[in-house]
Amino acid sequence: MNELREKAKELLLNNTVKLIIGYANGNGHNRTYPFIARNAADANRLVFNEYCVNNLAVYLTRKEFKGKGIIGIVAKGCDVKAIIQLIQENQINKDEVYIIGMNCNGAVNQLDNSFEKTTLAQKCINCTVRTPALYHALIGTTKDIEEPADTLGEKIKEVEKLNADSRWDFWEAQFEKCIKCYACRQVCPLCYCEQCIVDKTVPRWIESSAHTRGNFSWNIIRAFHLSGRCIGCGECERVCPMDIPLSMLNRKMSIIAKKEFDYSAGVSLDSPTLVGTYNMKDRQDFIK
Amino acid sequence: MKIGVFVCHCGENIGKTVDCATVAQRAAKIPGVAYSVDNKYMCSDPGQNVIKNAIREKKLDAVVVASCSPHMHEKTFRKAAADAGINKYLCEIANVREQCSWVHDNIPDATDKALDLVRIAVEKVKRNIPLTAIRVPVTKRALVIGGGISGIQAALDIANSGFEVVLVEKEPSIGGHMSQLSETFPTLDCSQCILTPRMVEVYQHPKIKLLTYSEVEKVEGFIGNFTVTIKKKARSIDEEKCTGCGLCIQKCPIKKKAFNEFEEGLATRPAIYVPFPQAVPNIPVIDRSVCTYYQTGKCQMCLKVCGREAILFEQQDTLVTEEVGSIVIATGYKLYSIDKKPEDSEIKGYGEYGYGKYKDVIDGLQFERIASASGPTNGEILRPSDKTQPKKIVFIQCVGSRDEQKGFSYCSKICCMYTAKHAMLYKHKVHDGEAYVFYMDIRAGGKMYEEFVRRAIEEDGVKYIRGRVSKIYRQNGKYIVKGEDTIAGMPVVIDADMVVLATAMVAQPNASKLAQTIGVPYDKYGFYQEVHPKLRPVEVSTAGVFLAGACQSPKDIPESVAMASAAAAKSLVLFGSDYLEREPTVAVVNEANCAGCFYCLKVCPYNAIEKKEVKNKLGEIIDYIAHVNAGLCQGCGTCNATCPSKSIELIGFNDEQIYAEINAFSESFV
Amino acid sequence: MSEEKFQPKIVAFVCNWCTYTGADLAGTSRLKYQPNVRLIRLPCTGRIDPVFIIKAFEKGADGVLVSGCHPGDCHYNLGNLHARRRFILFSELMNYVGIDSSRLHFSWVSASEGKKWVDVINEVIDTVREVGPFKKYQKINKEFVLHE
Repeated sequence: MNELREKAKELLLNNTVKLIIGYANGNGHNRTYPFIARNAADANRLVFNEYCVNNLAVYLTRKEFKGKGIIGIVAKGCDVKAIIQLIQENQINKDEVYIIGMNCNGAVNQLDNSFEKTTLAQKCINCTVRTPALYHALIGTTKDIEEPADTLGEKIKEVEKLNADSRWDFWEAQFEKCIKCYACRQVCPLCYCEQCIVDKTVPRWIESSAHTRGNFSWNIIRAFHLSGRCIGCGECERVCPMDIPLSMLNRKMSIIAKKEFDYSAGVSLDSPTLVGTYNMKDRQDFIK
Repeated sequence: MKIGVFVCHCGENIGKTVDCATVAQRAAKIPGVAYSVDNKYMCSDPGQNVIKNAIREKKLDAVVVASCSPHMHEKTFRKAAADAGINKYLCEIANVREQCSWVHDNIPDATDKALDLVRIAVEKVKRNIPLTAIRVPVTKRALVIGGGISGIQAALDIANSGFEVVLVEKEPSIGGHMSQLSETFPTLDCSQCILTPRMVEVYQHPKIKLLTYSEVEKVEGFIGNFTVTIKKKARSIDEEKCTGCGLCIQKCPIKKKAFNEFEEGLATRPAIYVPFPQAVPNIPVIDRSVCTYYQTGKCQMCLKVCGREAILFEQQDTLVTEEVGSIVIATGYKLYSIDKKPEDSEIKGYGEYGYGKYKDVIDGLQFERIASASGPTNGEILRPSDKTQPKKIVFIQCVGSRDEQKGFSYCSKICCMYTAKHAMLYKHKVHDGEAYVFYMDIRAGGKMYEEFVRRAIEEDGVKYIRGRVSKIYRQNGKYIVKGEDTIAGMPVVIDADMVVLATAMVAQPNASKLAQTIGVPYDKYGFYQEVHPKLRPVEVSTAGVFLAGACQSPKDIPESVAMASAAAAKSLVLFGSDYLEREPTVAVVNEANCAGCFYCLKVCPYNAIEKKEVKNKLGEIIDYIAHVNAGLCQGCGTCNATCPSKSIELIGFNDEQIYAEINAFSESFV
Repeated sequence: MSEEKFQPKIVAFVCNWCTYTGADLAGTSRLKYQPNVRLIRLPCTGRIDPVFIIKAFEKGADGVLVSGCHPGDCHYNLGNLHARRRFILFSELMNYVGIDSSRLHFSWVSASEGKKWVDVINEVIDTVREVGPFKKYQKINKEFVLHE
């Protein structure tokens, strides 16, 4: 904790960064919440622990920060993936972000839970970026942690095993619940469009009322627009008030991207994006 | 909006299967349709008048014509609409012939479908907006790539019409393969004698800028407005100072080291050289790979003897840029080298013919040099190995051509003729010699071509054997050619003194690289692909780029020259107008909504998307958004489909129009 | 057309240069195919957005066909290659949520493949006829109309 605060203080005092987006303790509970440190006193409030589950990269594209000088951000490996993706998509300038990379030992799945093997967040299972791929300063150390089984992967496989009608039924039951609150979009670091397609009225490709049909197209198109881009932070599913298993969609698309194109989003600044590139050898056995 | 629907019977072509009157009646009920009528022939003058009168009298804002494919008559009907005073882009076609009446039998089904197609077109046209064709200025200047006979012809035709031409040739001299030929079929006139005046004309032409020993590096822009970057390779000679006296060439100590490309390896040349005596320009070049100075830092003999101080050992490659409106590609061909298996090729090679191993088994171009009065033997037919006169010579046709097993499936087209010519030249020079030709078929389609081959057989006594050769091997100083006479049905063995292989014409080895630089499609052999094999044979899909000569497919001289003149004419058509009109189907960005992710830029096949700066009140750049260069955009719409927020849309096929077309289905199929 | 046989509704999104022209060729050659398809002509498969496909189902299509130029033949050089990558992702996604390859079809049909167009479209119609009306989508479509 001290290491983080000292680094933050140094960066703020020598004007390396204008401010630091990080985490601070909440009111009495385990919870932490997103916090903007603008001076040395603020820096003393920064924390990092297993309750720092939020992906703060979502704030980097906010108008109040974007293009306003170098922004510091406290970022886990998964959050850095989002930052890499945002740089690749021209949303942030890589010279205008200072990444305080956190060696991470996993986050908790529910903020009310205490942190143990069984309460490890889904996104932390089989994590390959416990040390971030890109950082300007690196804080903390990783240690071996015990991981529960990858239940998400299992759930996806189960749905895949169903026949088409049953797959439809499964997803219809999920999408039926959607209330179109757009919390998924709001929390997603990669949903930065000025105007989301669901808000476009001429033409209205996606019906905005909370009905299964519009919910279906909304969730499908959102998953499609994120395919090859979603870095799997799981924030959308975490914030969904209706408990729609959105990670089952996004993870599925990541699996496809890996299988078809050997591609993973947010891994490196140098690899070309999946969408926007092509290969003469792309699969076409499904094309008559 | 008041829409008129015009249903064409196309005689019986549509009317037989589609109840046109019913379609017209039912179309009248589609919201927005103010007038609908059917007619026997909408494309006829009276038919077009029906449309024009209705537009005027019923005050229509837009029309839908249910007729043949838009690829047939969209232009006709758009013009009719424009003549009657509405914007031509407010005319849509419902294709009820090719995609309805001609493919279905059942009248009720076809009628229902025709009505649906009309409904779809009505819904689209409701959302069409008046557009103006895009006007772009034309740079009236041409680039010709390749200085063989095709490039020379194209350059001269364009320049003689009064327009500037930049002619780029990668070799030190123009002239191409034609300059290597001895005599030409079917007239047997001397190749050099007819070519060199053209070469000189190019050199002296005030409208032609000649860049030899140069290659095209980069092509940017679009029809009428290309910017071309050309690399001038270092000749190591000051072209301004050199008088072409040739003293340096005479004094160069490296006489017998360098492979003489022009003589196809049958002679050597010095390190400083001109490819052949009539070279244009007559300025030498130093081959740095063999020059003693570049190898050891010593010698400099050329510099010592040059009275003009024209030798520049330190000269560097330079880049020049040229602005042109059209590009003629005339990069020609290569002969398929069978001496070794080419890399990156499925070609199996012809090791059994011993080419490359046996000095006296040569290819057609080598024979041209041997037969040429200016060649290594001064025109005497002598075999390369021991400089003796071959008394028995065998020509083998289709080596690599028409051979899917080991070569290429295509016919190289010129080999039948040049082999007849070679055999004839041989017989004219070696009166007591015997000439044999192994052939598969004789393809002598062309003016005086068949007569020419007959002359070789009947007057000059060349012996034609139909069949393939299976093996050539050496025995007692002879080349034993084992083949088969398929007409006699028996094996043939000839103990020849020399063998000439008519190897296939192939694309230049770097043809695909140049194609990618310019954006020209090419076939699996590397030959450039024309837009339409019959009706648009010199155009490619990239507008403003034209093809001439053997870069498109194997060709002889008259065909290449004709194609070059055609390519020149196409350039001149372009230069005939000050502005170009293009379909206004281009993408536009909704700048308020663009988030600047630039996936559109990544998918655009034409580099038509630019990053546009967004500035604040202080003039500081605060963001970048997409911007479409309408001159470059060709209207594919890939950006539109890729943009997640639909902040870039294709005019003429925008989301609202397509939505309306899809929506029309909810009314359909009833 | 017999009354009792199910007549599927097929929407085809095709590119102007290859498949649309190939479909024209089928007509010029007087080849016959079943009339259950309605074409929407677009410049290029690159223009075809997955939302078109979803919207077609929402508007009552029982099956959708997407067709364009073979790789290497694209009038715009690369449009179909970007489209192919997009379709790989989208078809997998659709399959995962229960819209499989019996309802969502893809083909490359060139301007010279009039016969192939006929074969493809007949195969698509027959396949969709086999699986029957798209009741699952129709159910949410119907509910939606009531809901509105």
